[in-house]
Amino acid sequence: MPLSDAEFDAILTDCTKLIEGDIVWQEDEDHSPSLEFKKEIITAGGWPLFLKGTFNPLVPAITFALISKTSGRIYALDLGKGHKNPDGRRVGDTHKHRWSEEFKDKQAYEPEDITAAPDNPIQAWQQFCQEATIQHNGRMHPPPPIQGDLFL
Amino acid sequence: MFECSVNGDYVRVRTPFLYPDGDFIDLFLKSANQGVTTVSDLGETVRWLNSNTLSAKRSPKQAGLISDISQTHGVEFFRGMLKARSSEPTALADAVTRVSQAALRISDLIFTSRLRSVESVTDEVADFLQELYLPFERNKKLIGRSGKSWRIDFQVSAPQKSSLISVLSSGSRSAAQQITKSVVATWYDLSQYKASPEPLTFISLVDDSADVWSEEDFNLVESISDVARWSVPETLSQLLTA
Repeated sequence: MPLSDAEFDAILTDCTKLIEGDIVWQEDEDHSPSLEFKKEIITAGGWPLFLKGTFNPLVPAITFALISKTSGRIYALDLGKGHKNPDGRRVGDTHKHRWSEEFKDKQAYEPEDITAAPDNPIQAWQQFCQEATIQHNGRMHPPPPIQGDLFL
Repeated sequence: MFECSVNGDYVRVRTPFLYPDGDFIDLFLKSANQGVTTVSDLGETVRWLNSNTLSAKRSPKQAGLISDISQTHGVEFFRGMLKARSSEPTALADAVTRVSQAALRISDLIFTSRLRSVESVTDEVADFLQELYLPFERNKKLIGRSGKSWRIDFQVSAPQKSSLISVLSSGSRSAAQQITKSVVATWYDLSQYKASPEPLTFISLVDDSADVWSEEDFNLVESISDVARWSVPETLSQLLTA
């Protein structure tokens, strides 16, 4: 059953969303340049939510995605990559995807509250949690350095 | 239109192509000695896929599709990056086109993910069993010692032996506990099938794409069945054919 607009608004404004424990960046299964993490989000309403973070230091680009186990990605912050909305309008390299019944997660906008650079995942994470009303009981560890010339 | 700009050590090429959510597909060029230019997505396509899925690991079907797509378009899939080389300036456009098309097609693998389609993990298991050429029956009805009727997700008939598979999949911890208890009760009531002249192996297949299973859940099902994790499908294959 797809998520309704009202359900999405309720999830986003739910102030009980909580992530416990530190966030540690790890290699992905391909040992690509990107690093990632996945955390369960605990909510009073019992929404089956997870937070997936990915960071590519070579570009650089960051994505924090709020994923519902029943509906897929419903909210996400992208830094370092551009976007085009279904109406053809282009959106800048810092943009947020927001779920709607009409467009699912294809509609994005440029948020005013994100000032972090795409090579600063820690600051980006702090700013992301604020608008998404996510409380993080822990800290995000800095991503380990990678050697770019090992990839290309 | 393709838009080029300097991006650190690379030249970024913003293609007119989009990932399924509308994000632009960007490629990156880097020139080395002897005039060879490498065109790559720097792993952005795989990163885009990983950002949209909860699965810890790609399914064998998805891995096979990536390999097939890479071969079709003559690109290399190396450490999660799509790459093509061009030693002639006149061949650069061709390399950009090939990597672009490979990135576009691979990103469409999101539609083989359960979160984007109606396919369940049980459907994925069915696909897996087909790829192994193992005959199976879905939703097998069996009567337990209590007289209760149970529906088992799969009965698999391998040359070496036959097995029953119960798939444990859940989106929440509380539901996971209930499912675990239900599966344990199922195996307990069907235990006579383990002792028959044609004994069946009981396999509990845990969908560990979500971190909802506790150590106690695993201990419970391990006490009465063989356990495999869906993130390591090779284990299931071994249990079915050992």
